[in-house]
Amino acid sequence: MGSPCEILVGTDHKDDATKLAEIAAQEAWRVEDKFSRYLPGNIIHRINHSVGEAVAVDSETSELLDFASSLFDISEGRFDITSGVLREVWNFDGGDKIPDDATVAQVLRRVGWQKARWEAPLLQLQDGMQIDFGGIGKEYAVDRAAALLAEHSEVPCLVNFGGDLYATPPPEGFAGWQVGVDAVGVSGTRNLKKIRLRNGALATSGDARRFLLKDGRRFSHILDPRSGWPIEDAPRAITVAADTCTQAGMLATLAMLKGADAEAFLTTERVTFWAERQARAMSVP
Amino acid sequence: MTDSRTIASTLAAATCALLGSTVIAPVNAAEEPVWEFDTALLYYGESDDRVQDLSLNVLAVRNFVDDHVLTLGLGVDTLTGATPIGAMPFDGPQTFTSPSGLQVRSTPAAEIPLDDSFLDTRVALSANWRQPWGRLYTVSGGVTASKEYDYLHLGANLKLARDFNNRNTTVALRLAIASDELDPVGGAPVPLTAMGDINDLSNRLSSESKDIVDIVFGVTQIINRNLLVQVNYSFSSADGYLNDPYKIVSIVDPLSGDPVPRPATPGLDGPSHQYLFESRPDERTKHSIFTQAKYFSAGRVLDLSYRYMSDDWDIDSHTVDVRYRWPLDGRQYVEPHIRYYTQSHADFYRPSLAANTLLPAYASADYRLGEFDAVTVGLKYGWKTESGNEWSARLEFYRADGSVPGKLLVGNQAGREIYPDLDAIIAQFSYRFGK
Repeated sequence: MGSPCEILVGTDHKDDATKLAEIAAQEAWRVEDKFSRYLPGNIIHRINHSVGEAVAVDSETSELLDFASSLFDISEGRFDITSGVLREVWNFDGGDKIPDDATVAQVLRRVGWQKARWEAPLLQLQDGMQIDFGGIGKEYAVDRAAALLAEHSEVPCLVNFGGDLYATPPPEGFAGWQVGVDAVGVSGTRNLKKIRLRNGALATSGDARRFLLKDGRRFSHILDPRSGWPIEDAPRAITVAADTCTQAGMLATLAMLKGADAEAFLTTERVTFWAERQARAMSVP
Repeated sequence: MTDSRTIASTLAAATCALLGSTVIAPVNAAEEPVWEFDTALLYYGESDDRVQDLSLNVLAVRNFVDDHVLTLGLGVDTLTGATPIGAMPFDGPQTFTSPSGLQVRSTPAAEIPLDDSFLDTRVALSANWRQPWGRLYTVSGGVTASKEYDYLHLGANLKLARDFNNRNTTVALRLAIASDELDPVGGAPVPLTAMGDINDLSNRLSSESKDIVDIVFGVTQIINRNLLVQVNYSFSSADGYLNDPYKIVSIVDPLSGDPVPRPATPGLDGPSHQYLFESRPDERTKHSIFTQAKYFSAGRVLDLSYRYMSDDWDIDSHTVDVRYRWPLDGRQYVEPHIRYYTQSHADFYRPSLAANTLLPAYASADYRLGEFDAVTVGLKYGWKTESGNEWSARLEFYRADGSVPGKLLVGNQAGREIYPDLDAIIAQFSYRFGK
C-alpha cells in the first residue's frame, strides 16, 4: 500500500490477534498485488498495455470499474481513473517545475473515462490511455479486510492502512478508538487532532507533502482531469468520517476536487469532516 | 456535482454495490472532548468530634493541539471540629484562653484538651500549562494559591522533562517555590511565652510568613509493556515561621508529671495551669526518596510505592502504599488500597516540659510531630458509562496510633494515655467527564 498498515485488535488472546492480523495483511497484499499499477502481469498492467484492444476483466475488477464509473458521473468528470498519465508531466516533489500549456494539452488527449468503452466484462481504452485505482484501492482494501475480519471474529478491531481506517465498536468500557490525525506538513510531529471513533471509517485526503511551489503559488498534487491542471485553493487536508472507508475516502477526494468549495460541499452533504487549511505553526524547537 | 446532497447517497449506493452485502453500522465519530473535568466530593471525618472536612475539588483539563495542555483546579474545603492543642491530659479539669484571647475554654478531667473553635473555609486555585519543547522535552509551569481565614498560600512551579531511550526513559526536574503568610486569630504568639489571661495579647506578633522551596528529580522507566518504575528524589526547604500558632506545651511537675497550676489573676479569667506556646526551629529541610512500580496485566493494575523521608527535625518516615485495580468487567472495577505509615518523633517533640528546669530552645507537643504509625485501608469502586465518563466511590478507614518514648515522659506520666490516637473515615465520590 506504500504506507504503514496496522490492525488493532481488542483481545487478550495473542493467537486470535495474530490470526486476525494475518487475515487483514493477506487481504491487503492480495488487493495490492491485483490492482497495483506498478506490478507487471496483473489486470491493471494488462489493461494499461492493451494498445487499444478490449480486455476482459474478472468480476472484482468489474465492480471496481463500475464504482469508478459512478464516481466519474457524480463528480462530473473530476474523479477519473484515467488521469494518472498526467503524472508524466506533473512531478509533485516540492519543486517549481511547472509544465507549459501545450505539454499538458498533449497528455490530456489520453485522459478521460468518457473515451473508454466499458461494457462489463470488457474494457477498451484508447491507445496510450491508462487506468489507476490508486484513488480507491487503499480504502477498498480497508473495507475488504474489515469485512473479512468480521466474518472470522466479533472482537473489536481497527484496520488502518496508511491513515485510512475502519473500526468496529471498541472494547467494553472504552468510549472509542482515539485516532490522531497527523499534522499537515511535517511527518513525525505530534497529532493535530484527536478523533474519537466509536465505529465506522475515517479517511484523509491531502497534499501535505506533495505539491509544487512556483512564484508563491502552491500547486496541489490533486489534478483536475478536465483541465490537466492542479486544483487551486483546496484545503491542505480533509478528514472525513463515513460508514465505510471507501465512502470516507471518496468524499474526502471529491471535496478536495471542489477546491475552495470543499468545506461547503461536505457541509451540504451533511458529512462529518475536519478540514485543515492553514500551514501549521511549527513547535518551538 | 451540481445536484449536491444526492452525491453522498449515490456514493453510498455505489459503495454498497462494490462491497457487497456487508452489514454496516452508521459511523460514530467526533472530535475528542477538548475539556475534561474531574470532580470529587470528599468527606474526611475524625472520630470523637475531631476534625471534619468536606471538600469539593474540580480539575478542568483543556487539551490543545500538539499535546499542549492547560489544567485548572479549584478546591473548596470546609473544616469544622476540634483538634488537640498539645496540652497534657490529667486527672483534673483544665481551662485555656482561646486563640483569640477573648474567652476561656475548659476541658473536663482525664480528657485530651482540644480546641473546638476550629472552623475554617479554604479556597484553593491552581493553573498549569504543559507543552512539548522540541522533540524530546516537555515543559510545564504553574501557579497555585489558596486562602483560608488565617492563611494565604502563593506558589509557582516549573518542570522540565526529557525523554530518552525511545521514550522508554523520562528524566524530570521540578522546582516549586511558595510563600505562605499566616495571620493567626489574635496574632502569632511569641514562641515559649506563657498563655496569658483573656485580653492579654502582649506576647502576640502580627502576621508571620514562611518560604518553601521544593526540588524533585525523577526518573521514570518503562521496563517492558507490563511494568513501569519510577524513582524520585525530593528536597524541600522551609524557612520562616514554622510554628503552629494554636499549639501549646504544658509545664508539668517534675515528680507527679501533672500540669502545674497557675495562680489566677483576680477578676480575670485565664488558664488554670501553666502553658507555653510551642517553639519550632525556623528552618526545616527534608529529603525524600520515592519509588513506585506499576504492573499492568490484562486490565489489572498493581501499584506499589514506598517513600522514605528524613528531615533535620529528626523525623524519619516510611510509607508503603499498595493499590490493586481489579476489573470486574470492561466497565467496572474495584480497587483495594492499603497504606502503612510510620514516623519517628521530632527531636524537640515534648509532650510536656518539667517545671523549674532550663527551657529548651524548641519544644512542641503537636501530636503530628510525635512518634506514630498509621494504617489506611480502603476500597474504591469505579464504573464507566457508555460514553466513557467514569464514576467512582471510595471508602477508607484511617487509624493512627502514637506512643511517647519513656525518655520524654516526666515524673509519673508513664502508663497514661498521652498521645491522642486518631480514627478517621474518608469517603469520596468522583465523576470524570468530557465536554
